[in-house]
Amino acid sequence: MPELLDVSSLTAGYGDGPAILDGAHLTVQPGKVHCIIGPNGAGKSTLLKAICGMLKIRKGDVKFKGESLKGLRPDQILRKGICFVPQERALFPKMTVRENLRMGGYSLADKSGLERAIDEIEERFPILRERRDQHAGTMSGGQQQTLAMARTLIVKPDIVMLDEPSLGLAPKIVQEMFDIMKVMASEGITILLVEQNALMGLKNADWGVVLDLGRTLFEGPAAEVMADPRIQELYLGGKKAA
Amino acid sequence: MEQIIQTLILGLALGGVFALMGSGLSLVFGVMRIVNLAHPSLIIAGAYATYWAFKLWGIDPLVMLPVAAIILAAIGVLLYKLVFEREARSAKYSEMTVLLTFATAMIVEGALGGMFTNTQRVTSPSYATDAIFIGNIFIPTGQLYAGIVSLLIISALALFLKYSRFGNAIRATTQNREAAELLGVNVNLVCIMSFAIGIGLAGAAGSLVSFVFSFFPAKHWEWVAVLMSLVVLGGMGSILGTVIASFMLCVVAAFVGAYVGATWSTMTFFLALFLILLIRPQGLFGEKPELA
Ligand SMILES: Nc1ncnc2c1ncn2[C@@H]1O[C@H](COP(=O)(O)OP(=O)(O)O)[C@@H](O)[C@H]1O
Ligand SMILES: [Mg+2]
Repeated sequence: MPELLDVSSLTAGYGDGPAILDGAHLTVQPGKVHCIIGPNGAGKSTLLKAICGMLKIRKGDVKFKGESLKGLRPDQILRKGICFVPQERALFPKMTVRENLRMGGYSLADKSGLERAIDEIEERFPILRERRDQHAGTMSGGQQQTLAMARTLIVKPDIVMLDEPSLGLAPKIVQEMFDIMKVMASEGITILLVEQNALMGLKNADWGVVLDLGRTLFEGPAAEVMADPRIQELYLGGKKAA
Repeated sequence: MEQIIQTLILGLALGGVFALMGSGLSLVFGVMRIVNLAHPSLIIAGAYATYWAFKLWGIDPLVMLPVAAIILAAIGVLLYKLVFEREARSAKYSEMTVLLTFATAMIVEGALGGMFTNTQRVTSPSYATDAIFIGNIFIPTGQLYAGIVSLLIISALALFLKYSRFGNAIRATTQNREAAELLGVNVNLVCIMSFAIGIGLAGAAGSLVSFVFSFFPAKHWEWVAVLMSLVVLGGMGSILGTVIASFMLCVVAAFVGAYVGATWSTMTFFLALFLILLIRPQGLFGEKPELA
């Protein structure tokens, strides 16, 4: 079976600037949680931005269901089924929660089911129903992250890419976010997660990818990545065994 | 007491018109972060279109209003395509757009002066010089009409932004451009349309202004600072803020005019602009600058 998403020797960067990614690769299996780890500035966010079409692919390729995404705009890639939740969560702070959810369906060609789909999401995430008429910017960090993740469900995506969903959240809330993510995965949505806290990310993932200096150093089953002595030395603090 | 109510009414009537004059400026800033110094000069262009339509063919300014709005909206599209679109990806975007809007204001002023001379004009439909009396209090009909029409147009704009699909796309782009793009909003189209709507609103305001104030091509310089004070007090990019700021400042200016002296009335706006920038640069409804 071909991979759902296949990133091969990818080179990309910002504008006319230097290549930030140079030789990044990654394979994505349907319905699994994939975690990309690596030090600050390794290019993890840049990789997600290149996949979703915000940055131009200079060399190499990104194939989704065997088809190249080269040259496509973010909205075209979204319509193919890849959703991206950036680090800043991409919410509209002065729109209500309900309006934010509605914007999530902006790219849908057929709007007839949109309100129903939003109702269903409110049912699944009661906090969003409770806050439906409140401005998104007035919610707590965890609630905002919940909204951002829940909003991706409206377009029934194949892949959801999450850039550091745990950023700035209390540990208890972080676990809630990972739980939402795992439920999404159990429903068949493939997750591509970037996580600064490598150990926590890998513990919640099936597949691990180690990125450094814009290159993929290593990828494999999350348990193997965690157990690898080199990875432990470099990124997991050196002693904690899996 | 009567004089206080009288002053209040005159302030409120003007507040509506200035709110409309400022709302297009605010919309354009919100979506594109363009401080459009040419906005008042385009209001004057709308005023001239209305003036000549009345003078030559006797068309009522209120009938001419939608036409002026459409003409100016078309000019807005042209202007955006020719001048601003190519700047969208420039690193010196804010500096360039300020210079370009300044140049545009000069060109519009020069063109109007060349065509229509510097004579003061005012459109004079019968209601422009009428007044309604309630006891000893009078309301100038022209200002009343202008104020009411302004509020109707602003309400329509607010409903469009709040409830239509494209209006939501405009608000989304204002609040988080990158997120809007990620969700499939055609941000370039939003920019063109917002610019068209913003300049269209300038045209509509011009129709009303043409019978409320006397005007000439260079009059717009006076309004730049006035409109800036409204938009800054309201919080750059917040249309509701602009409207509230407009009523507040126009009422204050009316009282200053009545009780301090007419020449101090305009100073209210400049002083307000100065004070806001010192005390609360994000305005009443704006984000803190560092978050914007
Ligand atoms: N908008 C940008 N423009 C130019 N360079 C950027 C931009 N964003 C990130 N970079 C650069 O790309 C490199 C990788 O950044 P990033 O992908 O954000 O790293 P990570 O997410 O792994 O911490 C850094 O050197 C950073 O300076
Ligand atoms: Mg990052």
